[in-house]
Amino acid sequence: MKRNVVVFVMLVVVVIGMLSVGRYLDRTRTHGPTKLVGNVHNVPAPDFELPTLDGRRLKLSDFRGQAVLLNFWATWCPPCKIEMPWFVDIQKQYGKDGLVVLGVAMDDTEAAKIAAFAHEMGVNYPVLLGTDQVSDEYGDVQSLPTTFYIDRNGNIVTKSVGLLDRAEIEDDVKKALDSKYKPATLQPDRVQAVLKVAQVKEAKR
Amino acid sequence: MKRLLFGLTACFVAVLSLAQAPGERLPSVIVAPIGNVQLRAGGTADLALDFRIGTDFHINSNKPRADYLIPTVLKLNSQEPVAVADVKYPAGEDMAFSFSPNEKLSVYSGDFSINAVLTAPASAAAGTYPVKGELRFQACDRSACYPPRSIALQFQVTVVKK
Repeated sequence: MKRNVVVFVMLVVVVIGMLSVGRYLDRTRTHGPTKLVGNVHNVPAPDFELPTLDGRRLKLSDFRGQAVLLNFWATWCPPCKIEMPWFVDIQKQYGKDGLVVLGVAMDDTEAAKIAAFAHEMGVNYPVLLGTDQVSDEYGDVQSLPTTFYIDRNGNIVTKSVGLLDRAEIEDDVKKALDSKYKPATLQPDRVQAVLKVAQVKEAKR
Repeated sequence: MKRLLFGLTACFVAVLSLAQAPGERLPSVIVAPIGNVQLRAGGTADLALDFRIGTDFHINSNKPRADYLIPTVLKLNSQEPVAVADVKYPAGEDMAFSFSPNEKLSVYSGDFSINAVLTAPASAAAGTYPVKGELRFQACDRSACYPPRSIALQFQVTVVKK
């Protein structure tokens, strides 16, 4: 009996050790270019193309130049339900400033049920049907709601997990809207880099 | 010994759960070890299945208060001659959470038991028969919810003649 307990405790210690090492390695190793891990501030939001409830397909990059509130949610999630009317108001209030709210439904159910739920909640923004791949690319979204605030250049300003106060959500929306849109071809550092390459080529001739 | 193992497993799960950063913690539900069930041919046996939910988490009861919530459901698949006559769920605890102070939810938290009633006909041959099952649940904590999950369980039923 005592021996069993000792063996069990040793097993627990070994497993915890292995998990800790695993987590450490997971944090330090290089991941693929689009999978979000750790601090996501200023990291480019992985692009995706997903179907909407009304049968269209939308890409995140379609909204470049606008700030995006990207909200992962599900119909079975009460805290998500609390946020939805706030997002409706936020879309109304900040839409004219260039904000787009996108909902990504992570339900494993038919689109019609999700559509009925969204209709009941008065949702006025596009709802996309999420996939495991997109969830994985955004860091394996397990906790709902999880919301990414993306600036006009497609970079993540911040991420929130779980229900926040509406005031906190609005603060994060304002941060995302604050950024100025810099079209890729006109970014000064990129222009400088291109000019430098051209100068080097010219000098070599 | 069973209780000790259940307790140690629960501690292990709790330590793992606490080792994770906020927002990365995933809910855990574990089932206590289930001993061999004795069932008389022609009779019934009541079996209590004990579950423990990780600290700070809750799961919907079998009868949540809204259609959009996913109920906790125990499915048991027995092998003839053993049959599952009934599954009795405990009543949920009505709780309001900070995310929805005006809406009470019917939930299980901490430890809870589900009772199964097993039967075997009088003609049942003596022997040991496996029962497999799964508990499907959907968990939340005070600010977030997690996708529905299932945990497997298994036990043996020994049918004895009168």
